[in-house]
Amino acid sequence: MSGCAGCDPERNPDPVRCGLRQFFISRISKITMSLHVAPPRNWKALLLTAAILWAIPLAVRNDYFLLLFNVMALNALVVLGLNLLIASTGQVSLGHAAFYGLGAYLSAIASTTLQWPLPLAFLAALLCVALIAFLLAIPTLRLEGNYLVMATLGFNIIVTILFTQMEEFTGGPSGFPGIPRLSLGPLSISTDRHFYYFIWTLFLILFAFTLNLTDSRVGRALLAIHERDLTSETLGIPTYRYKVTTFVLSALYAALAGFCYAHYVTFISPKTFDILYSVQVLTMVVVGGMGSIWGGLAGTVVLTSLPELLHRFEDLHVLLYGLILMGVLIFSPQGLVPALLSLLQRARPDSEAAGSGNEALLVERALESLRSGRTLNLRCAPAGTGTASSGPEGAGGLLDIRNVSLGFGGLQALNEVGFQLNSCQVVALIGPNGAGKTTLLNVISGLLKPDMGQVVLDGRDMVGMPPHRVAECGVGRTFQAVQIYQHFSVLENLLLGYHVEGGAGFLSAGLRTPSERREERRLRERAMDLLASFDLSDKASLPVMQLTLLEQKLLEMARSLAFSPRVLLLDEPVGGLNPKESEVLVGYITLLRRNGMGIILVEHDMNVVMRIADRIEVLQHGCLIASGTPREVQQNPKVITAYLGVRKS
Amino acid sequence: MMNWHLAPYFFVSGITNGSIYALIALGFCLIQNATGLVNFAQGEFVMLGAMMVFTFYHIIGLPMPVAFILAVAAVALIGVALERGPIRHSRNRDILTLVMITVGASISIRGASMMVWGKNAHIYPAFGGDSPVFILNAAVLPQSLWIMGLTLVVLVLLYLFFHRTLLGKAVRAVADNPHGAVLIGISVRRLVALAFGLSGAMGAMAGILITPITSMSYDAGLMLGLKGFAAGILGGSGSTLGAVVGGLLLGVLESFGAGLVSSAYKDAIAFLILLLILFVKPAGLFGSVRVRRL
Repeated sequence: MSGCAGCDPERNPDPVRCGLRQFFISRISKITMSLHVAPPRNWKALLLTAAILWAIPLAVRNDYFLLLFNVMALNALVVLGLNLLIASTGQVSLGHAAFYGLGAYLSAIASTTLQWPLPLAFLAALLCVALIAFLLAIPTLRLEGNYLVMATLGFNIIVTILFTQMEEFTGGPSGFPGIPRLSLGPLSISTDRHFYYFIWTLFLILFAFTLNLTDSRVGRALLAIHERDLTSETLGIPTYRYKVTTFVLSALYAALAGFCYAHYVTFISPKTFDILYSVQVLTMVVVGGMGSIWGGLAGTVVLTSLPELLHRFEDLHVLLYGLILMGVLIFSPQGLVPALLSLLQRARPDSEAAGSGNEALLVERALESLRSGRTLNLRCAPAGTGTASSGPEGAGGLLDIRNVSLGFGGLQALNEVGFQLNSCQVVALIGPNGAGKTTLLNVISGLLKPDMGQVVLDGRDMVGMPPHRVAECGVGRTFQAVQIYQHFSVLENLLLGYHVEGGAGFLSAGLRTPSERREERRLRERAMDLLASFDLSDKASLPVMQLTLLEQKLLEMARSLAFSPRVLLLDEPVGGLNPKESEVLVGYITLLRRNGMGIILVEHDMNVVMRIADRIEVLQHGCLIASGTPREVQQNPKVITAYLGVRKS
Repeated sequence: MMNWHLAPYFFVSGITNGSIYALIALGFCLIQNATGLVNFAQGEFVMLGAMMVFTFYHIIGLPMPVAFILAVAAVALIGVALERGPIRHSRNRDILTLVMITVGASISIRGASMMVWGKNAHIYPAFGGDSPVFILNAAVLPQSLWIMGLTLVVLVLLYLFFHRTLLGKAVRAVADNPHGAVLIGISVRRLVALAFGLSGAMGAMAGILITPITSMSYDAGLMLGLKGFAAGILGGSGSTLGAVVGGLLLGVLESFGAGLVSSAYKDAIAFLILLLILFVKPAGLFGSVRVRRL
């Protein structure tokens, strides 16, 4: 039985109980919904958490329990960092114990052996960890797959060995005693109770910071990287740089926790920072739900308390952690907390059942408004302005593709392909399957690097630029298979396109500075305007999966227009659409051309191509075999041969 | 600290350890080719093999060859069970989730082994006695010869299996193109289970062979497994030849590094090499770079 939705009295003879249940479910899901969204909307949940945390020491008289909560806070800090990393890169670190340990040991050495003042030791430790994390991230985050897990695991083992072996610095396996307590001037944190307030305040600040970060332009980009990193690149998001930054940030959280740990316990030994701790924090993340910030906190609370409850079975701990990790991953891979949330949401009556059936009507309406001469709310560079500095040839167009060649092993995918594109022009790229059309688009947008040749936009060669730089230069694109982000709403999908337009970085996003908030508001307004141009305003907050294919394609097109490109690459825009729907898309394409856009169109639908293309370039086996106006190309014997074959004589 | 006169000794011990790493790396390689997964529990297979021989030989009192075969078979079954159970029943087929399930399995096996075999290291006598044989200038333990010999036998058998039998060819087909393999009627599921079983057997063999030299405790599997993985990366991820060459190379490098620099950092050397190879040539010596598609 799926929730209370069809609550008919015949199946459920107790309407009162059912009503009560519905009431509670809606209540709980309201609360959990507020947990789900980030501030400023969920400052209430944050405040509630803070209040509970504040009240605990008042209720707890036994200081031993405060010790447990202090350890919990330290774990929660590490988990927070790890979660941020998983949420954004989709990769897992098994080396956070090493960063935790480095924070502790470096600060211990600086403050105890070298007698540096505490703030200086703190800075030195964190700077060192940032540098080490940066050096580790550079090679490993470039790679796809499971490399980060292994590299961080190896790193963790090296660090543990160093802690144990470098006895003159670390005290070796017997540990490092006599670390000074945390203090600043006359203030000193000497009791468990004091430390409790200190560490949880620190945690809440960073927690709020992280929540803000995930709910910002940068945070959106990070989530987008996790879902589809190549597409994100073409939207102008510097994925690699963001991944490295996140990794360093995540390591810093752990190092900060390590610093606090060292100056709280005043004695550290290598055993605390071995690989098992890395597995423990990872288990906390998994139980709470990978990438879920609130879930991570819940996972930490549960798994830090659990061993204490099972105090008598100390030998069981390792086995227990392993079984929990495995069990959760097998049966509830999104984590226990998100699983619980989605269970509650499923139980809620589905109020937003999409009113289907009137799609045809919507298409009709869109067509009507396109015919009646609508304008697009775009900030396209008008023809002629950006092209003042066009290439040395003078006559060079907006985009100039020169002698591009690319081979994959034995296959020559592109062979000295070259043509020009002007503003207000649609160049159609046609050819049989496997001719190299999409490959050429990938070369232009920087996803592939040609063996030879140039792609010049406004006199500037873009070959060798990473895709996000190409996007910044003013090249937008759509994909053969629609590349929208399924975890995002329609508006958020579009906002990703505005990434280039914003400037707020990690810090201002985390602090939610006034200028960052202004910028976010401005981007949202512009996104809503653009959505209106594509008749998608009333679907702004829907999950993208509820859109029709046409709407998805329009959304993708809108997204590629968001950063005001001057060249648009459309890869089979009308593929899979019915004639009426493709009419709508064609309408938008002509509208864009009128606005000054230069468009390269890859398309198999010859009706569309012949109608809207100003020029046609025909590719076969990676070579341009013909080019010219639609009429010229239609009569070209080579093209006829390529498409229809040769008549047997 | 230059102990160059000990070079032959370093070399022999390097090749000995390297053979072990090669066996472990082959286990990784088999599973990776069949499923695309890195099996973190590979190291636990190694540990389990040794522990089982210890039980069969010392506790039950079976003759060594019987104990050897029983242990290898038992761990192979555990490998199959890992695939049949947790991995096959995972709701999420995402590679990362599956890899982390093997992390969980590894920790579980480790925890369970601690309860079964205790925290102490265990050892059993070497196969060919303890009196060294002199080859050139180096004193070679008979166990080293056993290790090299048996590794060679395994390699030959594996080669024959993959290139001469239909089943082996099917495994290669699955590695090359799983979808294509399904279309021509190969049961990928059964072959994946086979890969887990084989790699369990190979891991167990590595553990059984090395224990008379180094002894074995419940927590030693992780380190051995990781070194095997490092060897695999060095040789080239997913390459069988790479696994063998990488294993031997890693063993020799480690042995010389430990002897000439410092034995305290012996374990760190493998991971330094791992990080270095990821930095310089992530595809490894014999690996090929994968092309990403949108």
